[in-house]
Amino acid sequence: MKIVTEKKNMPFNIKDCTLITRMAGIDTAMNLRELRERLKICPIESLFHHFCETVIRPTFDDPEFRNDFAIWAAHNLRDRILAERLGILNPYALDNFEELRLQVLDIIDERLSQLVYFPWSPRGEEFQFMQAVTVVFETGIQLKNPEDLIRKLPQMSLSSIYYHFVEARRRTPHKTDDFTTWLMDYGNGVEPLLKSLRGIDFYFLTLPELKQKLINAVQLVNPVKIS
Amino acid sequence: MNRTLKDYEIVVGRDAVSQLQQVSRDLAGARVVHVNSTRVGGGVAEILSWLIPLMNELGLDTSWEVVTGTPEYYNTTKTFHNGLQGNEVILPQYMLDIYEKTVTENAEKLRATLEEADFVFIHDPQPAALLDLCPNRKGKWIWRCHIDASHPNRKVWNYLRSKVAGYDASIFSMPQFAQRMDHPQFIIAPSIDPLSEKNREMSPDEIATVLEQLGISGEMPIITQVSRFDRFKDPIGVIKAFNLLNSHIDARLILAGGGATDDPEGAAVLEEVKEAAFNNDRIHILMLPSDAHLTINAIQRASTIIMQKSLQEGFGLTVTEAMWKGKPVIGGNVGGIKLQVHNHHTGYLVDTPEGSALRIRELLRRPEKIKAMGMIARKFVTENFLLNRHLREYLTLMLGLRRGLSNHLIAN
Repeated sequence: MKIVTEKKNMPFNIKDCTLITRMAGIDTAMNLRELRERLKICPIESLFHHFCETVIRPTFDDPEFRNDFAIWAAHNLRDRILAERLGILNPYALDNFEELRLQVLDIIDERLSQLVYFPWSPRGEEFQFMQAVTVVFETGIQLKNPEDLIRKLPQMSLSSIYYHFVEARRRTPHKTDDFTTWLMDYGNGVEPLLKSLRGIDFYFLTLPELKQKLINAVQLVNPVKIS
Repeated sequence: MNRTLKDYEIVVGRDAVSQLQQVSRDLAGARVVHVNSTRVGGGVAEILSWLIPLMNELGLDTSWEVVTGTPEYYNTTKTFHNGLQGNEVILPQYMLDIYEKTVTENAEKLRATLEEADFVFIHDPQPAALLDLCPNRKGKWIWRCHIDASHPNRKVWNYLRSKVAGYDASIFSMPQFAQRMDHPQFIIAPSIDPLSEKNREMSPDEIATVLEQLGISGEMPIITQVSRFDRFKDPIGVIKAFNLLNSHIDARLILAGGGATDDPEGAAVLEEVKEAAFNNDRIHILMLPSDAHLTINAIQRASTIIMQKSLQEGFGLTVTEAMWKGKPVIGGNVGGIKLQVHNHHTGYLVDTPEGSALRIRELLRRPEKIKAMGMIARKFVTENFLLNRHLREYLTLMLGLRRGLSNHLIAN
């Protein structure tokens, strides 16, 4: 397949990343009230970790909820109502993580006002506030044009997919993925490709599922030919 | 024989190896020293046996030093170990004096190497006091705690904290083990080497030969616990569980333990275990030399079920080894075992000998579950607990410490 574009020679360097988790320096939370107090002061990086980096962390199975606060509420506090309210929050739909923090606090305040006794976690299952250090590195793989994206996506590691498609939303001006940012400069010829990428709701996908969705999406594209 | 990164590609994939090479580029030439208290026996020595050559192959200049001491020193460090795991212990001043004197003697030998290193990894409490004895250190010092220190004895922890608080960072196997300290605390789970003598594939003939040498017949299902003879591993509890089953099943129990040179209590616990197993010819107690890796491999592979009924456990590499061999594990509901054994998926978590007996009986009566759990277990270890992930996290940590630990670092 040939995608005809208005511009050429804008290579895209594929990067990869590796994470290591660390304690966020916040005391553990044993109950819902403590969770609220700690959430109010925890670093933004910790919020990011518990909402967004869950996807890159090894897990045994497909988790019921995508953020750690909802998972903890469901499994450790045994409060499914709270878990569901926290679970629906989409951090990528908000302007910034301070706004996310306010929304989480609001949900917990509402729940605390409904409960006669606030729930406790069993000993040893307290909420641990974590954050991660991410190291980004060059892979040496370069996309020279949009067709390369279609060809080289299958070779990309899952952490590379995470970095360019998920983590990118935190650092790019339009809060989009790196591929879209790159392709936008190619003009109308790549619009079907952009539309296809925009159509992926990645929040509930594991990284292998996301990679497959991306591969399927870009391979199905029927590019508009520009003379 | 040292294995190379190329050898591991067949197990972990080319991409995983390539990722290690890319992450390590920035660390080429860095001098790294690991220090622990034994070269043989125990999980730490096993990890360092593969970690050092692979770090060297990746271009880091890595060495392994071992602190040595008298039996009194090892008694003291065993007391630290027990205390960190939450046991009530007696720690008189003379033991602390022996500890500090021994580490000071070791510092005389190691100081030049340690002070010149770019990164020093001090494993567990035995060498922890070295930091204060190397005042002209130029690199980053990291204390790596392999022990479940989630509820430490306060006296032991207060003393050890005074020795480790000055480190640049510490590493724990699980967030629950981390203690309040001013420096950054990282979480790195241990791992196994899939190509080591203890974990490599073995042919049925090789396995049969080892069993024959041990005088163990393979005609009955074998239930095995491999671990040091240590009260925290609860070998007596395993025997109790087996005895509860004797009238219901035909099986053999193997309790296989190696000795670690830094564990002075092993002989006493071994005697207690022999007493508990007295007169039961279906229980085999094997005291194996610390280098009997292939024997352990064969026993694990010949077993139908693997037990790790620990009462406290830092991580439990024997659990990882068993899961890698496609065996379901019945494990104590503690520490790092909980990271690996997922109830009803890769095995069962139990709290009592009765619970262990129940699950052994269930698995032996439903062999299809043994196979299904074993397959999930192997996949889970492949994805999470092999050496490439472990090594990558060490490299990431070193890069992070060198660059100042911002949340987002770009490697050159």
